[in-house]
Amino acid sequence: MTAFYSLPVFGIGLTLVAFFGARALRTKIKLVLFNPVLIAITLIILFLVVFEVSFNDYNIGGKYLTFFLGPSIVALGVLFYEKYQLIKHNIYPFLLAVCCGGMISILSVSLLSIYLNAPDVIIKSIVSLSVTTPIAIEITKITEGIPSLTAGVVIAVGVFGNAFGPSFLKLTGIKSEAAMGTALGTAAHGIGTARALEVGHLSGAYSGLAMCVNGILTTLIAPYVVIWMVG
Amino acid sequence: MSKATFKVHMKTMNLLKSGLKMLKAFLILFLFLGLGELINYLVETPVPGNVWGMILIFVALKVKLITLESVKPASDTLLNYLVLFFIPFGVGLMSYFDFIKSYWIILLVAVGISTLITLYVTALIQQKLEKNDSVL
Repeated sequence: MTAFYSLPVFGIGLTLVAFFGARALRTKIKLVLFNPVLIAITLIILFLVVFEVSFNDYNIGGKYLTFFLGPSIVALGVLFYEKYQLIKHNIYPFLLAVCCGGMISILSVSLLSIYLNAPDVIIKSIVSLSVTTPIAIEITKITEGIPSLTAGVVIAVGVFGNAFGPSFLKLTGIKSEAAMGTALGTAAHGIGTARALEVGHLSGAYSGLAMCVNGILTTLIAPYVVIWMVG
Repeated sequence: MSKATFKVHMKTMNLLKSGLKMLKAFLILFLFLGLGELINYLVETPVPGNVWGMILIFVALKVKLITLESVKPASDTLLNYLVLFFIPFGVGLMSYFDFIKSYWIILLVAVGISTLITLYVTALIQQKLEKNDSVL
């Protein structure tokens, strides 16, 4: 049996079953907590823990799915071009919103961590929490944090934003689909963008570009903020 | 050739055509991904290769080096399954159980509050300043 677990088809198959199962469940039960990503991840972790399969064995197959993240990010460029005409007249409000949001994200997370007496290594690892995983890991290498912690937190933020972002924003009086997309892409990167695409294609386009702009902005600013805060 | 076999023949041809279109679209996307990774490899930028690929393909579309129709089949397919590709990363959280157990309150408070503030500030600025596109 151990041999079967280490075949790529195991990780791929388990993920596909969990994903399409969770998606089917979504059409039946319209609850925030029944978010497909959250359900699929929970189901897979439970399965792996119960049957004592290591993450590394699962990821032999999982890596094949993760591989498509690269071309998917390129595909966001295509989506953005397609929707550029719709965004063009709003480019300045959009850029201002992403830049303010990105700065607030870096400053708020580092100030909160300092206030809560977190060890320096945590601040160094989570300062880039709102940007897409590959960029966040690059930033953590520069700030000398723990890249694996960064990856974990970044995904948690994405799932959190994906699951609760739209309902939180509606609750606080945000009505514009575009504003929702920009916020999801700025705060919750690609996983948030996946949710923005569910809200609408326009919202998805704003979100995809917000993710890209904030990724570049955070890369340029976060290392200096870390040096300034924790030396 | 009877009418029925001709119909089947045409169907197969159309299927083959859209399959080839899809293949070509994927090839173009991977070409831009490769170009992005190449830039990252040569210049060692802090911006990862796939984000370079995203910027490059946007520029290529803008200057009409490639057409939207030539890449749309692949990009639409990928974006439809974007969530699926993130799942293995999410499952990776299980490797950090011990670390999360020692610092979970700090992580939860700092990360949760910061994310909510970021969401709200970004959305508020955009909503206050944007021109209405709900009519488009």
